[in-house]
Amino acid sequence: MKASGFPYVLPMLLLSVAFFATPLAVLVGFSFAGPGGATLEHYARFFGDAFNFRVLVNTARLGLETVIGTTLLGVPIALLYWHGGRNLRQILIFLTLIPMLTSNVVRTFAWIVILGRQGPISEALVGLGLTGMPTSLLFTELGLVMAMCQIDLPLIILPLIAILSRTPVQLTEAAQVSGAGPWRIFVTVLLPLMLPGLLAGWILVFASTSSSFVTQAVIGGARNVYVPQLIYREVGTLFDWPLASAIAVVLLLSTGCLLVALTMMSRHRRLFGHA
Amino acid sequence: MNEMKDFQITRRGFGFLAAGVAASAMLPFAARAAGSGAVAATFPGSWEDAYRTVLTPMVKDAGYDLTIAPAMAQDQLAKIMASPGNPPYDTLLMSPGQMAVAIEKDLIQKIDPSKLKNWGMLDPSFQGEYGPTVTIEVNGIAYNPDLVPKPKGYRDLFENPAYSGKVSWTGFASNTAVMAYTEIAKIFGSGPNDMDAVFKLFKDHPEHLKGVVDSTNHQMTLFQQGEIAVFMCSTGNVAHLKSLGLNAEFVHPETGSPAAPVNIHLTKGSANLDAAYAYMDAAISKAAQDQLKEPPTEMFPTNKDVALTPGIEAYVTRDQIKTMVYPDWVAINKNRDDWIRQFDALVAG
Repeated sequence: MKASGFPYVLPMLLLSVAFFATPLAVLVGFSFAGPGGATLEHYARFFGDAFNFRVLVNTARLGLETVIGTTLLGVPIALLYWHGGRNLRQILIFLTLIPMLTSNVVRTFAWIVILGRQGPISEALVGLGLTGMPTSLLFTELGLVMAMCQIDLPLIILPLIAILSRTPVQLTEAAQVSGAGPWRIFVTVLLPLMLPGLLAGWILVFASTSSSFVTQAVIGGARNVYVPQLIYREVGTLFDWPLASAIAVVLLLSTGCLLVALTMMSRHRRLFGHA
Repeated sequence: MNEMKDFQITRRGFGFLAAGVAASAMLPFAARAAGSGAVAATFPGSWEDAYRTVLTPMVKDAGYDLTIAPAMAQDQLAKIMASPGNPPYDTLLMSPGQMAVAIEKDLIQKIDPSKLKNWGMLDPSFQGEYGPTVTIEVNGIAYNPDLVPKPKGYRDLFENPAYSGKVSWTGFASNTAVMAYTEIAKIFGSGPNDMDAVFKLFKDHPEHLKGVVDSTNHQMTLFQQGEIAVFMCSTGNVAHLKSLGLNAEFVHPETGSPAAPVNIHLTKGSANLDAAYAYMDAAISKAAQDQLKEPPTEMFPTNKDVALTPGIEAYVTRDQIKTMVYPDWVAINKNRDDWIRQFDALVAG
């Protein structure tokens, strides 16, 4: 069966080699390039500078914070979709997809208005008496996480909806009849069901956030430096491509490790029961 | 659903379709290789709009196609370096800082002035062997008179509390910023390259570090939103803000205004030389510069036959151009990498 199917996957395999594996190999090759042959010098330079290591940690933290934020927002929306009628479902799908049709750059610049001193958040804080004077959340990590959560929210909602759409709503009623409370139903029934969708969403959100150059640069400002900005600086300003390649490989490996860990989690039987 | 099921395609039909898609994907390359047009890298924003509107029809009249491709000077260099021998642009637009790098890395070539009809219309100082100067960017300080008083110069921004938390800076990758920093180094340090004095100044005034952003374009947006009241700029930036109806003013620093010529360069390996020369010639022609000197771009004309507008003369006259501060880009380029890394680390805390 496998042998007969091979010719059909061949074009995709060739495309993958040509447009994914080869550029990746070039990138890795660049990261070891030195005047006298292969060298680890660029990796040593990257890890030798405490500033770079801090940038790497900042990037991972930003990804994790966004994953937490999108999960807290996305799960209730997905559950609302699951329990909702046809009209509510259409509205929720519409509201989820519409932002994705708008350019990331436009959405990012809209956040400048929202997070600025004269924006709705600042006005609400002043109006509620929480701050005495207008406050700007621009160039802060909190502001950046808020923007990233909005931008990446569809990436977690859509996999959750895909999972929940295949699950009968009566499942919660059955659990209720069996005596389970809402919290128990959520933890023992819904969460294991949603976990494959959550894992897919977490991978997408983490990868998207940690590589979101425009939003990081515009909302985070120059004080919050993340790995994509570091790569851009090395390529576009300092023209140090081997170091840029080494940084890119480090980012790729960090994200890859998380991906592998999450994939292994998704195969863990105890997490998903016997579903 | 039934319609989907009814849709069938034969293997031959699929083959033709795939071939068609592949052929259409090749079209840009085919057009690029035809040699009938030039791809000109231009700064994004108002430059891109102006050059596309004014120069594309003029080059078309000369018998060539012109594609205006927006890219910052550093990005232009990075892209050219990425494809040596097959440059993505036929011409580049950059200041002397990047030009020095391009010459050092053998990315641009000397031009043949005999191919430019308007060459004689340029002052000799604008007739570079690596391409003509199309305008001079005069730099200074932009401020919002509604929010802050008129600054006297760079010293004022650090010493007058009226500017505290209202000034925005960019990193050393920006030409505008690096010119301002060399002036600040002269004021607070021993000379234009004494950046330790500048770094110390920022350490002593951490409120200035909060307003550091990535680019002047980003600062324009923040100025528009009232988030910042002062930033280092060119006269063109202020002209653009004014054209948007904003209350923005330009001030020459008391220590002098840094200036940078902007030149068009011919990339090494350009396959469309005739079209590139036609574009260069159009950019220095009276017809083009008469339009480019008008708002919102208000570019300083380098063509002798083009009279200055009252708006441009309010910023700078032809005589003043000679008295502007022209930084030593060779010295800047020598130290720039180190300054960029040090400043980025300082800003990030």
